[in-house]
Amino acid sequence: MTAQALTREDAPRMATWKALLLTLPIIPVAASPVMSALSSGDLLAIIPGFAISILLIVVFFRMLVTGRTHRYRSALFISLAIAVPLHLIPQLFELYGTNMLTPEMTYAAKARFCPMTVGAVLLPAVLKGVVVFPGVIAEGVVWFFMWIGASLVIGRGWCSWGCVFGGWDEFFSRLRKKPVIKHVDRKWRFLPFAILLAIVLLSAITFHPIYCEWLCPFKVVSEFEAPTSLATTIALVIFPLTFLGLVVALPLLTKKRIQCALWCPFGALQSFFNKINIFELRIDLDKCSQCKRCLRECPTFSLDEGSLVSGKALMSCTRCGQCVDACPKGAMSYHIKGTRISVSPNTARLLFLYPAYILFCGFGAVVVSDAVWRVLRLITTGSMI
Amino acid sequence: MHGFLLGLANGTSCLALCAPVLIPFLLSEGDNVRQNLVTLAKFLGGRLLGYLLFGLLAWAVGGLLLAAGGYQALLIGGTYVGLSILLLVAAFRKKKPAHGACVLSDAQVRFRRWPALIPLGMGLMAGLKVCPPLLLAFTGAASSGTLGGSLLLFATFFLGTTLYFLPLPLLGAFTRMPDLRIVGRFAAVIVALYYLGSGILLLAGGVQL
Amino acid sequence: MAKVKSVLGYSVAALCIPVMMVAVLGLRLPMAPALILGFVSATGLKHSANWTGGEVVQTLEHGTYRTEVHRPVFDALIGEHKKGFIQVAWRPPDALPARIDEEIDADADGQADFRIRLEPATKQASLTSYSPNVIELQGVYNLDETLAVRVRLKNPRR
Repeated sequence: MTAQALTREDAPRMATWKALLLTLPIIPVAASPVMSALSSGDLLAIIPGFAISILLIVVFFRMLVTGRTHRYRSALFISLAIAVPLHLIPQLFELYGTNMLTPEMTYAAKARFCPMTVGAVLLPAVLKGVVVFPGVIAEGVVWFFMWIGASLVIGRGWCSWGCVFGGWDEFFSRLRKKPVIKHVDRKWRFLPFAILLAIVLLSAITFHPIYCEWLCPFKVVSEFEAPTSLATTIALVIFPLTFLGLVVALPLLTKKRIQCALWCPFGALQSFFNKINIFELRIDLDKCSQCKRCLRECPTFSLDEGSLVSGKALMSCTRCGQCVDACPKGAMSYHIKGTRISVSPNTARLLFLYPAYILFCGFGAVVVSDAVWRVLRLITTGSMI
Repeated sequence: MHGFLLGLANGTSCLALCAPVLIPFLLSEGDNVRQNLVTLAKFLGGRLLGYLLFGLLAWAVGGLLLAAGGYQALLIGGTYVGLSILLLVAAFRKKKPAHGACVLSDAQVRFRRWPALIPLGMGLMAGLKVCPPLLLAFTGAASSGTLGGSLLLFATFFLGTTLYFLPLPLLGAFTRMPDLRIVGRFAAVIVALYYLGSGILLLAGGVQL
Repeated sequence: MAKVKSVLGYSVAALCIPVMMVAVLGLRLPMAPALILGFVSATGLKHSANWTGGEVVQTLEHGTYRTEVHRPVFDALIGEHKKGFIQVAWRPPDALPARIDEEIDADADGQADFRIRLEPATKQASLTSYSPNVIELQGVYNLDETLAVRVRLKNPRR
């Protein structure tokens, strides 16, 4: 993975004692993995749980001391994405002996909910009280409340701090030094909204989770329908191709998070939360030198020429912090709506980082810890199950 | 009256089933409310034409078609494919402003105007494909003796269902935003691909999606 | 006014922290499962009949086992679909005879609509249709504590 040489004037560094003090509130939350492992009593789980908890505390501390967000967030985010199949697929084998959903499993509602089902599920659930996804309803409700709370708090920041799949295309987007495809037409940014509209309408009409059944590329790293009919066999061909294209190839070639920015309908839904979310990314136009580095760095096409005039990122901004870290003049910053720009950007960033980190620690970190435990099990016993 | 009341009772079904086609199409066209009314009128005209044609066919061949079990998959599959092609054409064609100063030959003018038939064609396909009146007209026309009676039932049924479509041109108020037009075009392509896939699978052998 | 907006902004931002705590960590509290199940119960959320097969409307006792006929499923968001299915299940699976041969009345009109012949051991099944609304046998499935078949139907009301 390449590390970009970033130089920036007035990097918002923080005194070590202050950073330590401000890291303290994170400790109980960062302890989630070790607490979860302690309850199992398995030493093989406690060790990685402990290590990951320490790592999370250190990373947060480093975020505060260095003033950098993106590189640390990215590492955590990518580790979560890689951890998910290592955590989920063995779990599915433990429960059902397979990660392929047979008709029996769907009729018994044994599919696993994920937040991406929201678009398909919401309309029939609200209008008719019917859940069109074949998963345990209580699990879906848990996801729903976590999702709605997180989305109200950090908006589309979910896509860079909470999403269990987005780290995959972030990983591939960071592999090359330079992009091969340098220009992507602006109109493709609207494709996720169109997919959202289409799947909401079609899922409501057919009472099937259309996106999950046909379009989700991340079935490669989770579960998928067994090929028991012509339709499911065709779907079995489609989703690996979408994964290879949207998650691997295009991010590699463009150095952008193509799946997240130009495909994911859940991301499109999250974009609407940016409109009501208290946090945003702003450009201090007095400091901005119009170098357009932020436009080039943004992995989700959320900054354009208009942003350099208005001083605002677009509604698709995932609050990843890459532009903030890249700006040589310190003109980009996290901002709280209603407050003055560039007055206390550190405070705004800190008030954003806390809930974002809570989201990662509270959920993602436990997944990472479990994944490490399973890898250790594989090494020591020859089986992840 | 009976047909009209049945239409009122079933109209939400028609709207719900036509919405995945109509909403992306209206958004992608980028027309204002008045122009959308014209587009909707063409769509509904096509829909009515589809019902009446099918009712006529049902009266003509009656029970023969009811007995031929495989025809439905072929008809519905074929209309799915036709609908998807029309949606794709509508999504990909570039709407150019009228060049008032150009002198065009009569043939060129007629050729340029063909896109105006797209909503009519979509309505025809939608009417054949998805709406409840299809089987109503079919069974009614096949079992009754009079064509006029079943067509009248059908026309009044159509009027009852059409009331639910009337708010749709208001989408034109949103299409001033060019971004929404792009979303509409993309959505039209996605819906078209879905119906294309469904249609091909139905033609291939009645596989349920 | 600017000061008020600023104070409000910071206050809301600070409130985000406990909100996120509740959203992410609150679900681990001991009372959370009861609250979630209560929410599901209060809202009446249920699975689509496409998955569950719909409610059982008829039970036929056969001594050691019984047949459960579910309602025909044509569920749609608005109105009904033109095509659907009916699920017929037999329980318990370990008490079933070597061969099941049963006529099923799908539309509760007192007349059989189709006949199922099923060998539970091999899950081989055949369907004989008595009604034009019966399309085909969709499949045989081992569900929780039942062996079930689904038969595709046309909606007689559409």
